Amino acid sequence: MIELKNLSVTLGAAAAVRDASLSIQAGDRLGVVGESGCGKSMLALSMMGMVPDALAVSGQITLNGTAMPPRDETAWRPHRARSMAMIFQEPMAALNPLRRIGDTVMEPMRVHLGLSREDAIKRTLDLFAETGIRDPELRLRQYPHQLSGGQRQRVLIALALACDPALLIADEPTTALDANVSLRITDLLVRLSRQRNMALVLISHDLGAVARATKDILVMYGGDIVERGPTAAVLAHPAHPYTKGLLGARPRIEQAAGKRRHLPTIPGSVPGLFDLPKGCRFSGRCSVEMPHCARSKPENVNTEQGQAACHQLKEGHNGG
Amino acid sequence: MRRENLPQMHGAVRMGYFIFRRLVGFVLTLLAVSVVVFLAMNVLPGDPALNILGIESSEDARAALREQLGLDEPAVFRYFQWIFNAVQGDFGVSYSYGVPVSELIVERIPMTLSLAFSGMVLTTVVALVMGITAASHHKKTGDWVVMLLSQLGVAIPAFWLSMLLVLLFAVKLRWLPPGGFAGWDDPLAAMRSLVLPTVSLALVQSAVLARVTRSSALEVIRHDFVRTARASGFSRQRVLWRHVLPNALIPIVTIVGLQFAALVSGTIVIENVFYLPGLGRLIFQSISNRDLFTVQALVMMFAVIVVSANFLVDIAYVLIDPRLKARTE
Repeated sequence: MIELKNLSVTLGAAAAVRDASLSIQAGDRLGVVGESGCGKSMLALSMMGMVPDALAVSGQITLNGTAMPPRDETAWRPHRARSMAMIFQEPMAALNPLRRIGDTVMEPMRVHLGLSREDAIKRTLDLFAETGIRDPELRLRQYPHQLSGGQRQRVLIALALACDPALLIADEPTTALDANVSLRITDLLVRLSRQRNMALVLISHDLGAVARATKDILVMYGGDIVERGPTAAVLAHPAHPYTKGLLGARPRIEQAAGKRRHLPTIPGSVPGLFDLPKGCRFSGRCSVEMPHCARSKPENVNTEQGQAACHQLKEGHNGG
Repeated sequence: MRRENLPQMHGAVRMGYFIFRRLVGFVLTLLAVSVVVFLAMNVLPGDPALNILGIESSEDARAALREQLGLDEPAVFRYFQWIFNAVQGDFGVSYSYGVPVSELIVERIPMTLSLAFSGMVLTTVVALVMGITAASHHKKTGDWVVMLLSQLGVAIPAFWLSMLLVLLFAVKLRWLPPGGFAGWDDPLAAMRSLVLPTVSLALVQSAVLARVTRSSALEVIRHDFVRTARASGFSRQRVLWRHVLPNALIPIVTIVGLQFAALVSGTIVIENVFYLPGLGRLIFQSISNRDLFTVQALVMMFAVIVVSANFLVDIAYVLIDPRLKARTE
């Protein structure tokens, strides 16, 4: 359905996304994980043709078999809301504060599908029911500031579904919500994806949510896709040192119940876009780093679970 | 259905209370203005009778005029008498025209109000188109062109611009009358004589408003909901006019309120340049004629127009932004 080939998003010499390739088919549920600033959102925006003007995009984007110029608004516009839709992190900020919820959700149906007001209201109420919005009749007339965070995110999901897209990209949809609500929103996204055979890209730094919701996973670090494969297998047996570190840094119930100890962390922090090492982006923070890691970019290596880009795996593979 | 009526009624009650409070403020402001106007005209040093009749006049003649004008009464008494009569629409008799001041105002106010309103409409339309265009072409050619034009507009005085417009469109091209007013009986002729004055009034104001629109729109364009609108596949124009503009309106409406005051006082100059029979020309003549009651009433009229405009702006805020309505308590 949508395919990215060697996609790079760059700002001068710095790459927010480097050589990313992926392909999404109907019904796929793909999780994209990684720390803040690792290029997850840029990857998502490039799938909407919405990379900010300041950044350069190279590589190929193919949508339903058609090559898409990354920056041509007129080429992308007819596909937005209809082929793919996106929901964003801050549900409050993402809704026009001066519009009634009903008018916001109805707008794409009326503009793109040419529905009459009555039909649009009917369809909106159906969507509200489908996305679990309480008091749908009342919501139609309310403004975003009158809703709770969870309800707002459901409204954004309803808005994204307005024109029945084949792909839904959710960029950190639950980060601004509390844990309980967050869980329910994640489950809602999975249910919608299943019922509508709609592909879902879930971008999150919440490994739990991604494990719960997705079939496949991409692990990103510093603009590179460092590991990919089926979600359960990759999380059970991570191959890349970064994925291992990320998994190790999760709080666990058994740890909390047992003796107190510090949560393991990955030493250091993600370098700025301009300070990333040229070779493996993870060099400098990696526990199994080799001298040439910082200089040469690791290739993808097939692992038991999928693929990972790490010199260690390559060496190990050759040696074994 | 029953459930949703409840919060709405509360909203209506709150809104009514809000408007009521604004109305009280409106009346208090006008009272304060009336005190200032009265003090300026009556209590400050200088004998109105002497001003009217000149220093050659006899003391007897001046005393007779003072009595005729009621100036021999105490100031406080005269103030309350003035207010009491004014509320009933009686502003006294014009000394120079010999007719009730209220008649003069009723006769001339349509001219000034139509000038001010058409000027405001033209200002707003031109400014919004220019400002939104500039914001959507931020740091590109369209932006520079609009900003250059508005810089020019800000720098040009309205009376000079009006003379240039007369030279071009009335004297050289002969498309429009150079001045004067044919009366309202022929609407087309009336509108034709209002075109140049309106344009002269509006161009300078729209240059200012275009800048406000641009910067307010630029601030709004950064918000996430604009990205949501783009992600919904809406055209650039729809995103700009339906999503960005409404959110940029609060500062724009504030400036429009202030500009309306500037436009109303601008009519004094423009009506004189174009020989239009409005309040502006009347106040100018009344000051020359030392027509005390007329000037007093006209200054008050201008104050009423300006304060009303500000009152409407306050109401507009709440109509624009539902979040402010929640805060009107």
